[in-house]
Amino acid sequence: MTRPLAELDRLTVAVAGRRLVDGVSLRVHPGRVTALVGASGSGKTTTALALLGEYPDGAEVTGRVVAPAVGYVPQHPAAALNPARRVGALLHDIARLRGHGTAEVHRALHRARLDDPAQVLRRFPHQLSGGQQQRVVLAQALLLGAPVVVVDEPTTGQDPLTKRGMVEELSALARQGTGILLLSHDPDVVRELADDVVELRDGRVVASGPAERLPAGPGGDRTATGGPARTAAGPRLLSVRALDASHPGGARALHGVDLEVRRGECLALLGRSGSGKTTLGRCLAGLHSHYRGTVTLDGRPLARSLRDRSRAELAAVQYVFQDAPASFDHHRPVAEQVARAAARLHGTAPREAAATARRLLADVGLPAALTARRPDALSGGELQRAALARALAGGPRLLVCDEITSGLDAATRSAVLDLLAARRERTGLAVLLITHDQDAARTLADRTAVLDRGRITPQDGPRPGDHRAAAPRGGDGERRDDRT
Amino acid sequence: MRPRFLLGAALVAVPLLLALCGPLLAGPAGPRAVSFTPGQGHWLGTDFTGRDVWRQVLLGGRPVVLVALAATALTYAVALPVGLAAALTRRTWLEEVLMRPLDVLIAVPSLVLVLVCAAALSPGPVGLSALVALVAVPDAARTVHAGAVEVAARPAVEAMRMSGESSARIALGYTARSLRRTLAADAGTRLVGALYLVSTAAFLGVGVQPDASDWAVMVDRNRPGLDLQPLAVLVPAALIAALATGTNLLLDAALHRGGRGARR
Repeated sequence: MTRPLAELDRLTVAVAGRRLVDGVSLRVHPGRVTALVGASGSGKTTTALALLGEYPDGAEVTGRVVAPAVGYVPQHPAAALNPARRVGALLHDIARLRGHGTAEVHRALHRARLDDPAQVLRRFPHQLSGGQQQRVVLAQALLLGAPVVVVDEPTTGQDPLTKRGMVEELSALARQGTGILLLSHDPDVVRELADDVVELRDGRVVASGPAERLPAGPGGDRTATGGPARTAAGPRLLSVRALDASHPGGARALHGVDLEVRRGECLALLGRSGSGKTTLGRCLAGLHSHYRGTVTLDGRPLARSLRDRSRAELAAVQYVFQDAPASFDHHRPVAEQVARAAARLHGTAPREAAATARRLLADVGLPAALTARRPDALSGGELQRAALARALAGGPRLLVCDEITSGLDAATRSAVLDLLAARRERTGLAVLLITHDQDAARTLADRTAVLDRGRITPQDGPRPGDHRAAAPRGGDGERRDDRT
Repeated sequence: MRPRFLLGAALVAVPLLLALCGPLLAGPAGPRAVSFTPGQGHWLGTDFTGRDVWRQVLLGGRPVVLVALAATALTYAVALPVGLAAALTRRTWLEEVLMRPLDVLIAVPSLVLVLVCAAALSPGPVGLSALVALVAVPDAARTVHAGAVEVAARPAVEAMRMSGESSARIALGYTARSLRRTLAADAGTRLVGALYLVSTAAFLGVGVQPDASDWAVMVDRNRPGLDLQPLAVLVPAALIAALATGTNLLLDAALHRGGRGARR
C-alpha cells in the first residue's frame, strides 16, 4: 500500500478528565475512502477535526497527528459559506490566495461535479440547494489543493436522488487521487464508498480494516415491504392542467404540470429537493399565485390566491407547512389557534370550536395541558402535529402535506400516518403527500408522482414500494435547481 | 439595567409631573417684581418681565409636553394603519399610493415645514400637534412598513390566511404585535424628535405668544439675563433635556428586559 497522506497514531483527546477519543489510530491513503463509523457521540467528529488541528476547548491531547492541508466539508455546508457573497467571489478569493485564476476555479467546480459552473458562480449560497452547497464547499477544499478531504455526514437529511449523486461525486473524487475520510452512520453509503472502515464506540476503535472484511455495518439490511395497495377510485376531485409556475424573480419552478387527485385518494409527490414539490403544493393551496394553467376542484376553478377564495373554498383545500413552528403565532396558545381555524372556516361558535380543537389535538396525541401553552413550549414534532390538527379543523377535502413526517420520530410518524389514513376512510379526505420519505409514501399513498426539475414524470406509474419510482434519471446531477 | 431604569424613571417623572400637575399648584400670579432678580421672595428669581420663575416653570411644561405627546400619538395613529396596510396588501398599486406621497414629504426639511406652516396659519396647540405629527408620519410609516413586510411574509401569516382569519386580526393581532419592540424603540426617538421640534418652534417664537408660559419660550426670552439670573434659563432647559434623556433611558431599559424574556 502507498504511503498514507494523513495519519493519526494513538490519538487521545480528553476534556476535564473525560476521554472523547481514546487511543484512536487511522490512516488516509491517496485515492481511498476511509469511513469512520459509529453512533452519534462516539467521537467521530472529534477524531476528524484532529486532522485539521482543531480540538475542543481545554482539551488534553496525546498521540501523533500527521496531516497535510486538509479540506473539511461540514454536515451543514451553508454554515461554511459567506451568505453575503456570490459563490464566484468566494471561490476566486481562494484561488487568488494560491495564485490561481478562473481556469482553476472552473476545474475545481468540475472536479466537485458541479455542472453548469457559470450558473452556480453567479448565485448566492442561499440560492443553491443543499447538495449544491455541499459541492461548493468541496470545490473550496479542492481549490486549496487539499490532498485529504474530511466529509462529515454528507447524506444526512438528503433525499435518495441527492444521496446517490453525493456517493458518485465522492467516489469520483477518490478516483482522482484524493484521500477521503468519510464520517457517516448511513450503512448504505459506507458500504458503497468505503475502502477501509474504522468503527468507533465511546471514543475507542472497536473494529478496523478493509471494508470487505467487516460486517455490513450498523443498520443491517432494509427490505422494502409493499404497503397495502388501496384502490380509491372515487370521482375526480382535483385536476391540475398545464401548470407553469415561476418565482417572483423570474426563475421557472414548474413546467406544464398535469396532475389529478381523486376523492379519498392519497397521491405521494416525490422528487429531490429543489424539484418544485413545495411550489406545486403552494400553488394548490393559493399561497403561490405566480402561475399559468388551471387548477380545478370538483370541476370549478380554484382562485389563484387564497385571498380570493371563499370560506368554503379555503376550508376545502388546506396546507400543512413544512416549517410548522414558524406557522404558529408565538403570542397565542396553540389550542386557541386551532380553535380559531375551526371557528373561522366553519363559522362554529367559539365554545364549540374549542371543543373541536381539543378533540383534534387529542387525536394527534397532544394533551390539552400542553396545547393550552404557547408554541415555544412545544417541540417541533408536537407543533407539526398541531399544524395537522389545525388543517383538519376546517374539514378539508384536499389536504396538502409538505414534508410533515420529516421531524417526527418513528412512533409518532406512524401515529400521524394512521390518523390520516383513518380520516381518509371516514371523510373521503384526499391527501397530496409531498415527501422524500419513501416509507411514508409507501404506507399512505395509492399512487406516486415524481417531480424532476419542475416536470412531472408519469404519474400513473409504478405502485409505491417500487424504488425505481423515485429515480427516473439516475443521478445526472441537479442542474437547474431553484429554491423550493 | 436596574439603575438605568431608575435613573430614566426619575428623569422622566420630574418634568412629567411638573407639566401635568404644575398648573394646579401654580396659584394666582403675584405682583410683578424687578426683572432678573435672584431671590427676594422668589426662590428661582424673576424672569424678563419680573414674573416669578417658579410659577412660570409650573405653568410652562404643559404646552411643550402635551403637544409632544399628542403629536407622537397622532403620528402612530396615522403611521400604523398606513404602514400595515401597505405591507399586508398584495396590490402593488395600493402600496405605491400609500407610501410614495410620504417619500415626497420626507424630502422636505421638517423644521422649515413647521416654521412656514406655523407662520402662515398661526395654529394653536392642536394645530401644532398635527403639524409635528405630519412631519413625523413619513418616517414612522416607513419603519412600520419595513418591519411589517418581513412579518407579512412569515408562514404564520400564511397560516392565518389559510384559516380564514380576518385582515384586522392579522394586521393588529399578529403583525403589529410582532413589531411591538421595534415600534417602542421608534416611539421613543419619535417623542424626543417631537419635543425638539415643539421646543425649537417655541424658542423661535412660532405659534406661541412672546411672553407665554412655556419652557421653550422661557429659555429664549430669559437669555438676555443669563448673567444676572441664570436659573430662569437653566431650569426650563434642564427639564426639557431631562424628559428627552429619561424617555430614552426608560425605553432602553424596558426593551432590554423584554429582550431577555422574549429571545428565542
